Amino acid sequence: MKNLIITLVLCFTAAQAWAEEATLEHIKVDTDLPAIARGVDDLMGNCHSCHNLKYVTYLDLEKLGIDRQKIDGWRGDQPINSPLTSLMSDEAAMQSFNLVPPDLSLMTKAREGGADYVYSYLLGYYSTPDGVVKNHIFPGTKMPDPLGMSTTTDHAQREQIRATAHDIVSFLYWAADPHEQERYRLGYYVIGYLLILTLLLYFVKKQIWSRLK
Amino acid sequence: MTNKIIHWIDQRFPLSSFVKHDLTEYPTPRNLSYWWNFGFLAGFVLVLQVATGVFLAMHYKADVSLSFDSIQHIMRDVNYGWLLRFMHATGASAFFLVIYIHMARTLYYGSYRAPRELMWWTGQGLLLMLMATAFMGYLLPWGQMSFWGATVITNLFKATPFYGEEVVSWLRGGFAVGDPTLTRFFSLHYLLPFLILGGVVVHLIALHTVKSSNPSGIDLAAKDNIPFHPYFTSKDFYGLGIFLIVYCLFVFFFPNSLMEPANNIPANPLQTPLDIVPEWYFLPFYAILRSVPDLVGGVVAMGLSVMVFSFMPYLDRSRIPGGAHYRPWYRMMFYLFMADMLVLGYVGHNPPGGNMLLIGRIATFFYFALFVLLPFLSKKEERWLIQKGLPPELKELMASDAKEKSEMHHRRNGDNK
Repeated sequence: MKNLIITLVLCFTAAQAWAEEATLEHIKVDTDLPAIARGVDDLMGNCHSCHNLKYVTYLDLEKLGIDRQKIDGWRGDQPINSPLTSLMSDEAAMQSFNLVPPDLSLMTKAREGGADYVYSYLLGYYSTPDGVVKNHIFPGTKMPDPLGMSTTTDHAQREQIRATAHDIVSFLYWAADPHEQERYRLGYYVIGYLLILTLLLYFVKKQIWSRLK
Repeated sequence: MTNKIIHWIDQRFPLSSFVKHDLTEYPTPRNLSYWWNFGFLAGFVLVLQVATGVFLAMHYKADVSLSFDSIQHIMRDVNYGWLLRFMHATGASAFFLVIYIHMARTLYYGSYRAPRELMWWTGQGLLLMLMATAFMGYLLPWGQMSFWGATVITNLFKATPFYGEEVVSWLRGGFAVGDPTLTRFFSLHYLLPFLILGGVVVHLIALHTVKSSNPSGIDLAAKDNIPFHPYFTSKDFYGLGIFLIVYCLFVFFFPNSLMEPANNIPANPLQTPLDIVPEWYFLPFYAILRSVPDLVGGVVAMGLSVMVFSFMPYLDRSRIPGGAHYRPWYRMMFYLFMADMLVLGYVGHNPPGGNMLLIGRIATFFYFALFVLLPFLSKKEERWLIQKGLPPELKELMASDAKEKSEMHHRRNGDNK
């Protein structure tokens, strides 16, 4: 019994160490609409059956500029301002996976490594020689390989999966912080304004202090 | 017309004399460097935090089942809610940065020495209130780090003699951090800034009684003082411009760099995060807490590490003016202290164990050793400096200071008779 516990502990710590050693692949997230639109399409097909995005509504997608017909197809008879909740109930998820799949609205902000983490995780699936599917980035994951990275050997197909993962992460990145681009645009004006203001304040200060002998 | 109104007010309220005494004619040493800007900046950030906080509170919901969602509501749906929230969150870091520089300036130039002890102590009180406010505010988003940070810190009150468990439950409003904790933290997080505002008024009244210290370390003759307005208003506003550029770079371009990823996961009492890290401004003190193996010892060490600054007016026994400027030993100690703070911050950021624990213990020992050695070293340094012969400009400063003081003494005695 004692030996078994020690072995288990060792396995666990070894897995931990491995998780930390696995390096994340860097992703340059796309912020343009076509990539985000492809991403949400892929997400609805590959992730949304289990995962919620409860802070994103179909209305948000429409405002962003996603094709209305597609949105209508996804939402069915739900009102346009309903959130992107999955079809799977929490109870059903508990039965299949023994946990509720995490909400994806904030996923690229909720993990150390951000978008790089999610991208590397999606592509991190592989098959062991005994045919068991595992993940480099999150060894303890209960999610089945959603994009089929572990079973695909063909180079072109693998590249296709990478592109899909790239689009999905781009969409998730938008979903986690929908105002980011607006924030940058406003930021340039604010910093520009402050630079000019500060320069003027510098001259005011210099002028006033020059009165002192 | 304006004159008439002001005259009318002046007969009922000392408006003009207040503006004259505390602004347009308030005498300020002309040799103040830009390190003296940070008190004004701290006041500015306080107003900024109150202003953004009031508007955030209009959209925030203090309820364990709603608060995480309400933050997302602010971030996504409220018009410029993301701006308010990022300004407020970044503002907390900015507040500590500005206050720490303000304190470092006081330590470097020895501004805590007589007659400014009360300024230093009211400042210490303000720092404690700021820390409490920041700590309670961090619980409000109800993320993983919010919850576990509050759990760890309230747990420290177990160190209370005899009634440890009771005090912890009393603080939390239950056996664990939960809805009662969240609502009371929200209430106090809204209250404390106004107590801080009151404390700032006391701090400023004390300042305007003893006047600003200055890099020379002695009170300057009247001719070396200039009116606060327009000289220091213009200087402070220029400094404010620089500050705002740095602040806005963070608000608009790197707001998430100051946020822990785990806090974007809703609080889950059943799942402890891999390691619980406080915000950067608490890291050195957190490292000291963890360096002591015993809970009570750790809490005492952490409390002492914050409160030890209060003793500075007594620990520093040197009469050499000018703070670290004319005091090579003290200057060395100051820089060692700053370096030690950085080491402690680094240790606090990393999970404990192995080398980290050892480095943390050495740095903690060093932290307190500097304060313990200060009374002896400062006295010895003073003797050594006098024996060696003070630089002529310093002698001149001290002589003019002594002359000024004896004249003031005569004048005051004359008034009494």
